[in-house]
Amino acid sequence: MPVSKVLTRGIGEVDLRDLKVYRRRGGYRQWKRVITELQPVEVVDLVSKSNLRGRGGAGFPTGRKWGFLPNNGRPRYMVCNSDEAEPGTFKDRMLIEETPHQVIEGMLIGAYAIGAKQAFIYIRGEFKRGYEVFTKALADARDAGLIGEKLFGTEHGVEITIHRGAGAYICGEETALLNSLEGRRGEPRLKPPFPAIKGLYDEPTVVNNVETLAFLPYILKNGPEWFAQIGPPKSPGLKVVSVSGHVKKPGNFEVALGTTLRKLLALAGGPRDGRKIIAVQPGGGSSACLFEEHLDLSYDFDTMAANGTMLGSGAVVFFDDTTDFVKAAHALVRFFAHESCGQCTPCREGGHWLEVTLERILHGGGLDSDIDMLVAVARQLTGINLCPLGDSIEPFLASVVKRFESQFRGYVRKRAIAV
Amino acid sequence: MNGAPKEVTLTIDGTQLTVPEGTLLVEAAKRIKTDIPVYCYHPKLGPAGLCRICLVDVEKTPKLQIACNTTVAEGMVVHTYGPKVEDGRRAVLEFLLLNHPLDCPICDKGGECDLQDYSIAYGQGASRLADPKEIKPKAIDLGPTIVLDDERCIVCQRCTRFDEIITLERSLVVKDRGQRDVIATATGTPYVSMFSGNVTELCPVGALTSKTYRFKSRPWDLNRSLTTCVQCSAGCAINVDERHGEVLRTMSVPGDDAVSEGWLCDRGRYNVGFYSDPRRLTSPLLRRDGEWVQLGWDDAIDLWAKTLREAVDSAGPKSLAALGGGRLTNEEAYLVGHVFRALGCENIDWRTGRQRQASPGPRGGTYADVESAQALVLVGVPAAQTAPIMSLRIRKAVSQRGARMILVGDYVLPIRVAHDRVARPRDLASLDLDRYERIAFFWDGIDPRVGSELNEFAESLAEGRKIFTYINGETPNARGAEGMGLVPRSGGRDSVGILAAAHDGNLRALAIFAANPVLHMPGGANFVRGAIKNVPFVVTTELFMTPTAERSTLVLPARGPFEKSGHTFDLTGAARVLRPGVAAPTGTLSDLEILIALASALGVDVPGPVALHRQAVLHAPWVASGFGDPALFAEGELKALRAGPKASGLRLVIAADLFSGGGTVYHDDRLGELRPLATATLSEHTAAVAGVHDGDLVDLVAAEGTLSGLVVRLAPNHVDGTVTILEGLPDAPASAFESGQTVALANVRVPAGVA
Repeated sequence: MPVSKVLTRGIGEVDLRDLKVYRRRGGYRQWKRVITELQPVEVVDLVSKSNLRGRGGAGFPTGRKWGFLPNNGRPRYMVCNSDEAEPGTFKDRMLIEETPHQVIEGMLIGAYAIGAKQAFIYIRGEFKRGYEVFTKALADARDAGLIGEKLFGTEHGVEITIHRGAGAYICGEETALLNSLEGRRGEPRLKPPFPAIKGLYDEPTVVNNVETLAFLPYILKNGPEWFAQIGPPKSPGLKVVSVSGHVKKPGNFEVALGTTLRKLLALAGGPRDGRKIIAVQPGGGSSACLFEEHLDLSYDFDTMAANGTMLGSGAVVFFDDTTDFVKAAHALVRFFAHESCGQCTPCREGGHWLEVTLERILHGGGLDSDIDMLVAVARQLTGINLCPLGDSIEPFLASVVKRFESQFRGYVRKRAIAV
Repeated sequence: MNGAPKEVTLTIDGTQLTVPEGTLLVEAAKRIKTDIPVYCYHPKLGPAGLCRICLVDVEKTPKLQIACNTTVAEGMVVHTYGPKVEDGRRAVLEFLLLNHPLDCPICDKGGECDLQDYSIAYGQGASRLADPKEIKPKAIDLGPTIVLDDERCIVCQRCTRFDEIITLERSLVVKDRGQRDVIATATGTPYVSMFSGNVTELCPVGALTSKTYRFKSRPWDLNRSLTTCVQCSAGCAINVDERHGEVLRTMSVPGDDAVSEGWLCDRGRYNVGFYSDPRRLTSPLLRRDGEWVQLGWDDAIDLWAKTLREAVDSAGPKSLAALGGGRLTNEEAYLVGHVFRALGCENIDWRTGRQRQASPGPRGGTYADVESAQALVLVGVPAAQTAPIMSLRIRKAVSQRGARMILVGDYVLPIRVAHDRVARPRDLASLDLDRYERIAFFWDGIDPRVGSELNEFAESLAEGRKIFTYINGETPNARGAEGMGLVPRSGGRDSVGILAAAHDGNLRALAIFAANPVLHMPGGANFVRGAIKNVPFVVTTELFMTPTAERSTLVLPARGPFEKSGHTFDLTGAARVLRPGVAAPTGTLSDLEILIALASALGVDVPGPVALHRQAVLHAPWVASGFGDPALFAEGELKALRAGPKASGLRLVIAADLFSGGGTVYHDDRLGELRPLATATLSEHTAAVAGVHDGDLVDLVAAEGTLSGLVVRLAPNHVDGTVTILEGLPDAPASAFESGQTVALANVRVPAGVA
């Protein structure tokens, strides 16, 4: 069954925000089937078989994540992470703004599968429109008897609650998100314990990405084999990729994993006229750069990892030959330093240090020794933090300093001349 | 849960050791005396994983691990030093010191600073930072006690976690994020907590300092002694740091797990300035023709002994009385009874304030028992107001065990915690307490009728359950004084009876030991003053010229708790040791020395030091039969207590404030803004009904008299229909009134300058 796209099908053609339209196209049938015909364990089994890996960034197998929940009779929670803020990523935003019902259906199925009666969606504070659309969709679904207690004549049911973020990148980290959801300061928790054991309100909790959950109705409808056969076996399925940067037609593209970066570039209209792509960040602001010689690599979790970078949340940013990588590095470092929650010493102090150093270089005060120090400090702050934010600073910086060292040296020399 | 906990064997730096399963690496290392540096980790606060300094190398894991949140595992091989570990620590230290000011020479923490110590051990000497350090505020006023130096803060969050995990007050937070984060209160209001001083000890650097100690001394110049705090009945171990004869600060004692668990309340910590106050009495003073004249000690003691002899000879021992003892050591209290009973005097009573009983009886519990309780019943003035460290145990039971909290009466708690409230002990029957196996009862020891009602209820549950009883009274060593027998026996008068006899002119000589009945004794200051005035010879031992001392014939300059040795009982009845930590002013004597001198002048034998020690510590303390023991109230001289609230008016709640009082607090200039105003606190609803607003001035009016110029304060958690005033304020003494009586507010006005 060659299905080229499911999540983005119909966007721009029909109004998928309309519950009637969504249902006419088969919406909520899988939810009804799941709740009336399947046991939770059967759903977990189907999702495990599909080999679906988390679409939020870490790429962890979804079925396995669900399997970590202990059988301790405690309440459980399903949390949908819609705090999408990775630089370069804008796929979840489109999904909740354009097709909220498939996200709701995915949340309901996921909640049922893990035995949760209550699900939450944590929507990034800046997604005002997404919040409004989702709120309306949720009300419609509730009115239609799709959400709540004792659904479809069964004893089962799931309630969904919306929570808006207040503008912190760190709340995309699952335990910071849980803290924020509880009304606490949004900063990551010490692990262990992991959320599967002690999550929201100290109860077993699963946090899944919007896109991950949105795939569930289709995996159930088409069967796990359908999903598992798309793309590379260990990294299968479809993926909505946000392509941006120096391309003619930036946007979201749903592709099979295993496609090439060059194809993604073509989908986004190719480079600007007369320009050449010289670098690409394949997995959001936290990922290391690949370069023109890598454009034919297979775009999947494992190939990206094997090449020293990552697929992340599927945000591909192309850089052409006009790029000032000192400015680019400064922009990203500044972002991470600004978004550091400040809990961990290396991330708080090191990120800030890199930012002021890059700022000085940009303003003509760079020293020759700064360039090696940038790499050394970035290395030094990596791998010793509580959460991955601190570790997100080094990959891009180190990869572009290595590749485009002459650009950095150029800034330092300018200063020498000015003096 | 059966059998001993499982054990695991691991290797740390080549040394094999076996520890219980679940032990954190940082704690396991302590067993082989290996020091793993920590900033954010604290044994009482648990791991936080923030500072990252405790990195260790665990074999078979690629990255360095934090020792504070890694639990031991069978066969684990750990290296706490070596190039990899030291490089990790060097990296973290470089980050910590990056923007940290190197102002150690003027920093209060210098010399006892973990950042300083570890920088010397693991630091790299020079900074690679080519840019200026971040400039941040150097002296943020967090509240009445604490100042924050934001440049020094390393955001370990020990202070905020203490405020969340230990006190449950949750007022301190980290504001903003990243490099900009700063310790503050969530609401921007001052950081007010009766445990605030602990954050200065938890702070691993010099970011949080006490206003009373800032820029006062270097730690190596201080002389430290270990003693017991006797500002209240909790009995915390305390370190006294003295320099040049002045107590500069006090510090908690980390190993004091039986009582304080290493915490101190702010009264115990900060109320030490009075020791070196210039108003200390340093010579016996005799009132002669309305003037105070100085007297030598020998003359003073001789005069006292002569007066006592003459009184006994002419009017019999019933014309003598001794009051006080609740602020004395056990040895001193024992001698009070010994000497006065030797004269045939039975008019002896420690009770010079509201508290009427100290020993809770045979069901008395320990501190550890509080933690194990499933339900906690707090009757009357809560421990938070009278024995703060006990209230931390209560909070621990609530937060860690989910114990149920029940309040009896109109008092409120300083924390927001789910609780039930009933009016009287007998109403507890409606709360299904019989479903719990372990119940703790706390009583303030004030109203014996409440006590006996509570006793009846507690006894009704005792079958098949563990009942723990406590009296969290206001008097520091009441338990010792009561145990040493400072209660009337065989026809003696209690304190109310003694004052009545004084008032009627039936007393010839009265001795008041370290007590201030004029301020605290029920019946009101005017009555007590008048009663004392009718006694021809009144001796008071005191540190200061208190309102009671002012009315005396002879005032003897005594010594404070840090200036003497001896023992006390804490409120659970356990003996605690006092050792002198600072030299007493010349001219003063301890009550023990005074009593020995008096006994000698009277020709009364006193036990030698060893016998006295045995009496004070090993002597079975006087044990009550239970709350409201009739033996303590049999005289019936306590005036009839008023029954319940009347139809109109507000129900009065007389609360204790940590910093109220006319003695050590009143004479401590370092406390400044910590001393409470005379306030009338109401719920918002009650204030609206009464037509008063926050900040108004009002008078409190009842048949017993009027308290003028109370400042109205609104508090959301106060019980509707009640008004709370503070006990023990020299400028607005509440002793004429009683909790539960009906009062009215009158003469509402806006303070001058506001309107």
